[in-house]
Amino acid sequence: MTDTQRVRTFSEMATSVGARVTALQNISSVIDYLADHVGGALLLPEFFSATRWNLGFLLEQAGVDTIMDDFREKAARANSGLTGANFALADTGTLVLESTAEDIRLASTLPERHFVLLDPEKILADGRAAIPVLRALHRRDPRNYIAYITGPSRTADIERVLTIGVHGPVELHILLVPGLSSDCLEM
Amino acid sequence: MNKQRSKDYRQRIDQALATPRLQEALHRFGDAYLLSRQKAFAGLDFEALRQEIGAMKDRTRDNRERYQAEFIRNAEAAGAIVYVARTAEDANRYIVGLATARGVKLVVKSKSMASEETHLNKALEAVGIQALETDLGEWIIQLAGQRPSHMVMPAIHMFKEEVAELFSKQTGRQESPEIAHLVKVARQQLRQGYLDADMGITGANLAVAETGGIALVTNEGNARLTSTLPKIHVALVGIDKLVPTLDDAEKVIRVLPRNATGQLLTSYVTWIRGAVPCGDADKELHIVLLDNGRNALAQSPECRDALRCIRCGACANVCPVYQTVGGHVFGHIYIGAIGIILTAFFHGLDNAAEIVRACIGCRACVAICPGNIDLENIILHLREVIGDEEGIGTAKTLVFRKVMRNRKLFHSLLRAGAMLQKPITRGERTIRHLPLFFSSLTEWRTLPAIAEKPLRDQWKNIPQRVENPRFKVALFGGCANDFLYPELGRDLIKVMNRLGVLVAYPEKQNCCGVPALYSGDRETALELAEQNIEALLEGNPDYVLTTCPTCTLALQRDFVEYLRDHPGWAERAARLAAITVDTSRFIDRVLGAADVFKGRALPEKVTYHDSCHLKRGAGVWREPRNLLAVSGRELVEMDHADRCCGFGGSYSFASHPDIAKNILADKLDDIRHSGASCVAMDCPGCLMQIRGGLEKQGTAIRAAHTIELLAEILD
Repeated sequence: MTDTQRVRTFSEMATSVGARVTALQNISSVIDYLADHVGGALLLPEFFSATRWNLGFLLEQAGVDTIMDDFREKAARANSGLTGANFALADTGTLVLESTAEDIRLASTLPERHFVLLDPEKILADGRAAIPVLRALHRRDPRNYIAYITGPSRTADIERVLTIGVHGPVELHILLVPGLSSDCLEM
Repeated sequence: MNKQRSKDYRQRIDQALATPRLQEALHRFGDAYLLSRQKAFAGLDFEALRQEIGAMKDRTRDNRERYQAEFIRNAEAAGAIVYVARTAEDANRYIVGLATARGVKLVVKSKSMASEETHLNKALEAVGIQALETDLGEWIIQLAGQRPSHMVMPAIHMFKEEVAELFSKQTGRQESPEIAHLVKVARQQLRQGYLDADMGITGANLAVAETGGIALVTNEGNARLTSTLPKIHVALVGIDKLVPTLDDAEKVIRVLPRNATGQLLTSYVTWIRGAVPCGDADKELHIVLLDNGRNALAQSPECRDALRCIRCGACANVCPVYQTVGGHVFGHIYIGAIGIILTAFFHGLDNAAEIVRACIGCRACVAICPGNIDLENIILHLREVIGDEEGIGTAKTLVFRKVMRNRKLFHSLLRAGAMLQKPITRGERTIRHLPLFFSSLTEWRTLPAIAEKPLRDQWKNIPQRVENPRFKVALFGGCANDFLYPELGRDLIKVMNRLGVLVAYPEKQNCCGVPALYSGDRETALELAEQNIEALLEGNPDYVLTTCPTCTLALQRDFVEYLRDHPGWAERAARLAAITVDTSRFIDRVLGAADVFKGRALPEKVTYHDSCHLKRGAGVWREPRNLLAVSGRELVEMDHADRCCGFGGSYSFASHPDIAKNILADKLDDIRHSGASCVAMDCPGCLMQIRGGLEKQGTAIRAAHTIELLAEILD
């Protein structure tokens, strides 16, 4: 698969499982998108791209109610969470988040909306291609909590009717932003 | 046999059959499942994938001590505490002890079949600790005080109105039976639980030796919350979930969601290794590795393939018995075909003794199993074990051991039967009603009468017209062709002679032994195998033809297996297997003679019913279709063409006639909807069932063996 093919397949597959995929050109359009869609307070955990692009400052400047600490206490009043992604898998539309840091997990499980920044350069072909990266993450860190996320939370437990958003996020927004990071080991 | 147990079981069947809504839901689910599964596997080679998984799981099983030690070493190095529990009680004692020691009041759980297996919730509640199920389906059945009726969808047997009622009791409000609303209620109700709980209990789909980590494959997100929020995380993991490497784990993950629910991937796959951060401290992670019969399973050469199971639940999804009675009948804790086997090893033979007979032997599960497990074979073995332990019933013992093994006696009795039945048949070929307590057997299908003169007695008077035969073959008639449908033998001779083949009928052939084997009497089956090998090889035929796929499988596969370790017999069994072929395949593939029938038939609409053992046993389904189509008939496919017709030999007569009747009703519906005026098949058992059902309904649709349809168009 070429890079463009991978991006296209990823977007198609992620959309088919209920994620909203939007290609954005730069950080200022990310801030605009978030300001338009957060719908309330936003959990912003620490991650590489957030620090690098100073997202906390920019979001507050744009008037977004940004929560950056005490997630366990404050999550109840948050509408959404923002994280990056280490990389993604094209054939299933899956995001991979190295979420050993608890705040990444809280931001991606508790609120009803989850926004994810993904550099389109980091879309791998499939689950098989992910294994060397998983292995590298296991070598690098002594402990791991690595999440594959494919679309929003779902259930079919009542009469097998597909229903979105049972325990995890109801909405999953994937923002494709070039130039974030090309290293699958960082978010 | 345990009478009370059997009585309770019968009662559960009756209850399930009295709930048509359940059957309808399970049928609809089965259809939808097959469609989405097919889409999910598009472009992938399922056969290759399942071979790979089977081989990987076997390798892991054979080296399980090494991989278990590697897993424990790596998990402990990452800060996990690992406990190996020999039994369910042992596992519960450890977890309850831990919870008590840490002063835990509330436990949140994500779905874990292993904890259902050990009855962990009961053990926790016994010491006053509340266990809250957070998987929506599990929570529903917890509120209802029931057990799961499906491994992947635990509450598949319940309807939204019932759920609304349960939730209303919980919230104290009247909750409307709209699914989206009910899901929201569950979200709100369960959310606080994660925050309040002191312990989260999950299962695991995989335990990876290479990393010492586990993987959880889920959709709802509750396992992520359960493993994140509480201070203590306990993962209860069957030792059969071990895989050597991340690559092996990936193989399972590629297939599991596709085969379980037809998803390419579940919403979440969570890889957890070690004591990850939790609040201001580290998580206390306990991994309880559960044996509870798994090592015993690994040591059973006949059953150990069951350890390849990845718990996708597909064997239930496609099972006609499951679709008819659901998992509360066809299962104990684990349900469906795999459930029978796991129950025998995890919960004891007694709990498996009834459901082991509920399998109709259609092999639909075998075809869909991602671990490439021959579930039917293992179930048959367990039936033997239980047959040895509990006996197979005096009547059956008498028939199999004293009568069938003595061919002359068996055949004399059948001939006597032909005389004695006259008051019932009134000289007709079909029995429409049986008197007294047999009457229920002809309520839903007519039965064929025993032929006045069996095929074996007619044989020498049937002229054969072949001058220099291309092949000399022997016909293995089987009981049905011989004593119920001798006309099929005449048709076969007509067709074969026309194709330049001379047919012999070796006198000393006897029943193929499958009825005895399916009832758990292997000894009789073995004795019959020897008799038949002797009889069939005697005239040194080029091929042995069969018209019954169950007999085909006995000759091609079972005899070889029984006699593998019998010097002198093993080689002869293999020789017989190599020359045994189903008649349709023989005509189409061996003789390449389809064109002989070309355009001879009227363009009648014919639909084809695949017999279980022909398609999923002998691998024959294209051949008869080709013969019928070439002959000029208009071949139309019915829905579920390869779904069992519900015959199953003694299944539909003795052990489960009520279930058989329902499965037949499905088949008759599919035949009718196809619009065909004739349904063809290559099995006298299916013919008995389907023809009997059609006759009882009084429809004009004709049921016929393919050989009849070929013979009738030759002059």
